[in-house]
Amino acid sequence: MNAIDTAIRAAAADIKLIGVTKAYDAQTVVIPPMDVELRAGEFTVVLGPSGCGKSTLLQMIAGLERVSDGKIMVGGREVQDLEPKRRGCAMVFQNYALYPHMTVFENMAYSLKVAGVRKAERAARVAAVARMLALSDYLTRKPGQLSGGQRQRVAIGRAIVREPNVLLFDEPLSNLDAQLRHDMRVELSELHRRIGATSIFVTHDQVEAMTLADRILILNKGRIEQFDTPKAIYHHPASVFVAKFIGAPPMNILPVTGDGSVLRLADGQIVAEARLTGSYQLGIRPEDIIVGIKADGHAVRAVLRFREDLGSHSVLAADLAGSVIRIATPFGADLINQPELFLNLPAARLHLFDAETGRATCRAFAAQ
Amino acid sequence: MVENARSLNIIASLILVVGMIYILGPLYLTLSTASQSYEFMLRNGLAWYPGDQFLANMASIFTETRIPIQMLNSMVVAFSNAAATCVLSFLSAYAIVYFRIRWAGVVFALILATIMLPLDIRVITTYQVASNIFSPLNAVLDATGLNGLIAGIFGTPVQLELSVLNTHFGLVAPLVAHGTGTFLFRQFFLTLPKDLFKAARMDGAGPTRFLFDILLPLSRTSFAALFVLTFLSGWTQYLWPLVGASTPDMQTAVVGLARLVPDSDGQVPDFPMIMAGAVIVSIIPLAMIALLQRYLVQGLVLSEK
Ligand SMILES: Nc1ncnc2c1ncn2[C@@H]1O[C@H](COP(=O)(O)OP(=O)(O)O)[C@@H](O)[C@H]1O
Ligand SMILES: [Mg+2]
Repeated sequence: MNAIDTAIRAAAADIKLIGVTKAYDAQTVVIPPMDVELRAGEFTVVLGPSGCGKSTLLQMIAGLERVSDGKIMVGGREVQDLEPKRRGCAMVFQNYALYPHMTVFENMAYSLKVAGVRKAERAARVAAVARMLALSDYLTRKPGQLSGGQRQRVAIGRAIVREPNVLLFDEPLSNLDAQLRHDMRVELSELHRRIGATSIFVTHDQVEAMTLADRILILNKGRIEQFDTPKAIYHHPASVFVAKFIGAPPMNILPVTGDGSVLRLADGQIVAEARLTGSYQLGIRPEDIIVGIKADGHAVRAVLRFREDLGSHSVLAADLAGSVIRIATPFGADLINQPELFLNLPAARLHLFDAETGRATCRAFAAQ
Repeated sequence: MVENARSLNIIASLILVVGMIYILGPLYLTLSTASQSYEFMLRNGLAWYPGDQFLANMASIFTETRIPIQMLNSMVVAFSNAAATCVLSFLSAYAIVYFRIRWAGVVFALILATIMLPLDIRVITTYQVASNIFSPLNAVLDATGLNGLIAGIFGTPVQLELSVLNTHFGLVAPLVAHGTGTFLFRQFFLTLPKDLFKAARMDGAGPTRFLFDILLPLSRTSFAALFVLTFLSGWTQYLWPLVGASTPDMQTAVVGLARLVPDSDGQVPDFPMIMAGAVIVSIIPLAMIALLQRYLVQGLVLSEK
């Protein structure tokens, strides 16, 4: 632990959004009124498809976009009308947005210079951050002479050197190649454990969300679909949208109807017993499906379409009652070499969603 | 193709030689004429070979004509034109690119329209405005009936008058109203990382600091390129200085050169001296290009590094 770690940990503030709204005009409401609370020191990932308003939300917190309505509280202070520099937020951008004509040192020291921090202290603080991010050898280089990963580290350094109350990331890893993205993810995770800054990380990549987040906030067209820990979101998705967004391959969703005693697929096959009537959407994760080659119990019959062998496991795609169902199975190629499969969908692993709203319904059925 | 490479080469070289003669021929004639005496030219016509009167002709430009003072005028006009265009273009492009302005597209289109309506087309109206820069205001007051109202109250309508003809300001101002620079800077700004402005705001730098700390240093080469281009165009302007300045002491060197040809018929102009003058007048732009040519290329490539 050195001084800058503790300083940032001490500065970490909680964030409260109260009825925060963003509308460009009456038709284009990007964020309908939103209420959410982020705890101090927490790493929140905002996850959603592109265009759902993630950047807008982040920039409203940062002060780069005005809120149309509502309040933003940082550490108990109302900030929605303050200039960005007075909100105690720092931001890391997707395309780094480093100043091309300044050296790494000048890039990191710029905010301190603007704030009127004395030269000696500037140098000391930049040096401490550079050491933490393994950038000490590059301080005199220009951004153009650095690799993508190094540039991203400089951008992170530029953000944390001010010891902000809140760290904001807008898809910072999406410009990096797969290997580097993985390394940076690990680095970010370690950094967060060290400095404990309140962090909001925007991404459309569910792997980043699952690996980095204390809690994930899933956004759909500006609305919160679910806000919970990665584990809870994985095991208890609150809606079809969430279920389809998390997991690779994502959860299978099949339309079913209940007649009061059993749930049937569109082609009449029985998948489970349940005292339910009406239309539902049934969800099951690819890895929860048990594959057999003989009919038994409530096993449903599916026709294999194709198979992808990934070494550790295979992903099968099969036709089931008019939809395509994906199955992740540890069994190798030899075992499943026939078109007809019998799939067992364990009742405890089934998720049931309302057919119209897509929200999760009565878990009571799964307990049976 | 390949087997004919030799003959092709010869043809290509021939075309090149013809092109060079086309360009260098007049240049050679300028220099050779400038080095002959007036009497030589009267006797022999075109000077096909150089003589020994070059320095004498140069000296007579300085002693017998107003070219030196007119070159000072050219210097003032070209330099002010370049400096004012750079500042104005930089600021207008900054506003258009970095601020959410209503009608920004329309404003930019209007600025671009000045490229399609050069001064040579607008020379008569420009002259009218320059002869009284308040004439548009007067016209508006008349047209809206405001002047009638004012006359009713104060007894006399507003008729302001201020002529900028035959002043340095009057020579420069119409040249500055040109959109090329704005276009150049706008294109350059659009090549910069798009979140730069936001990053600077997060770092606590407002629009002014961003302008001076970030944008200005990044735009150095664009500035140099635009400066050279507008300086050259200001130096070589002919039509506007011709009508905008009426006394020899206000005219620019290019106009002064043309005036060295006597108006009356029958007298053969002193071409050796005029050509010596042309050489002298060309030295400044040539030096400019030689010095700043590197930036000119870099700036027009329009990208960082
Ligand atoms: N200036 C604007 N005027 C109107 N709509 C805008 C403006 N800026 C962004 N939007 C809209 O806001 C929505 C959310 O954008 P954004 O927050 O960038 O999405 P994300 O970061 O999740 O991809 C988009 O649908 C976009 O079209
Ligand atoms: Mg975005």
